[in-house]
Amino acid sequence: MTVRNRWSWLGRVAALLILAAVHPIGAHHSFAMYDHERTLNLRGTVTRFQWTNPHAYLELDVPNRSGGGVTHYSLECTSINMMQRAGWRSSDIKAGDRVKAVAAPLLNGQPAGLLLEVTLPDGRKLEPGVPAATTFKRTPDTEN
Amino acid sequence: MPATNTGPNGARGAVRRALVSLTVALACAAAAAGQGRAQQAGSAPAPDITGSWERYGFGGGRGGGDPQAAALRPPPAPQPPLKPMYLKEWQARVQAAREADAKGQPLATGYTHCLPDGMPSMMAAMFPLEILQSRGQVTIIEEAFTQVRRIHLDRPQKALADVEPGFFGYSVGRWQGDTLVVDTIGIKEDVRYQNTPHSSQMRITERIRLVSPQVLWDEITIEDPVTLEKPWTVTYAYRRTPDYSLLEYVCEDNREYADDKGVQQIRIGPAK
Repeated sequence: MTVRNRWSWLGRVAALLILAAVHPIGAHHSFAMYDHERTLNLRGTVTRFQWTNPHAYLELDVPNRSGGGVTHYSLECTSINMMQRAGWRSSDIKAGDRVKAVAAPLLNGQPAGLLLEVTLPDGRKLEPGVPAATTFKRTPDTEN
Repeated sequence: MPATNTGPNGARGAVRRALVSLTVALACAAAAAGQGRAQQAGSAPAPDITGSWERYGFGGGRGGGDPQAAALRPPPAPQPPLKPMYLKEWQARVQAAREADAKGQPLATGYTHCLPDGMPSMMAAMFPLEILQSRGQVTIIEEAFTQVRRIHLDRPQKALADVEPGFFGYSVGRWQGDTLVVDTIGIKEDVRYQNTPHSSQMRITERIRLVSPQVLWDEITIEDPVTLEKPWTVTYAYRRTPDYSLLEYVCEDNREYADDKGVQQIRIGPAK
């Protein structure tokens, strides 16, 4: 393990501990309606980035894998105050942007999810700072 | 009016007026300079707690990097010492919320309806706080839902019947040495702290003090002759965040809503 890798690993452990610690009071709203056991890896075109409190929303058209057409997903973020503290700006995403989103799906099967991470057209990755984000098991992305 | 006029409205009068204005301006400036600190009757000025703060010490969270953190972490919060019939109701509510979460069907809360915490929940400060000390008043703002409470200094508390119940109640406070002691009454019965039932007679006493130059504690004691067997004390700790300026927060479009069973849902779309 190189020195750099070791630090990166330590950083991840530290981040996990911090997120686990803030969990009890990290959110005003329950995220229990989202599946903690799998994530969606979505590539699509942004139709709207709703920059509002209490939560922001990323609206995404995702081409269907078969049969043509698109499925529209509404992806819930956290408070825009939390997002601003994590470095986000309302101008980071706009309609027409092609992005990759990692989201925990709604348990009731509707096409919606909790955004955990988004990769912007310029390759920049942003996280909305979902409390205890590490408790959502990530499904490997098979489309790399 | 001729410039040589030496009457009260003439040049000499103008000089006198200018001197008076200057004196008033200097006095105002001095008063303004002192306004950052609340006036304390008699002796030393009140401690300076003006500025922004973040909740601190909840199990090593954001304050975890501070070497002094462990020593300045407040004692853990006990369960509410409710009288048996209220305890039963509270336990049932907590259990129902836990079971709903486990089923992935969380129960809607006040937040689902864009409602603020109210007192004393806002002092749990999920989002940053700002404290402002001005003459005769300490104002506490919580960023989330732009919650504001006003603590009127050195004034008698009102009679309960004279306070219209609300989210933040009516607060009076006084500095006792280094501690701001605040008395709050008049919290609406449906404004609940940690789901705990309370009556219109609930009284909140806070002891707010700096435990180090950078760490502020708020020891909150709740008394309620109807629902509580004995006073219930919970302490929150905050650390100074001098570089942070509170952001605006308007609950503008909550797409989470309560369905007819009281379960939280979200509105899907619109696409554009």
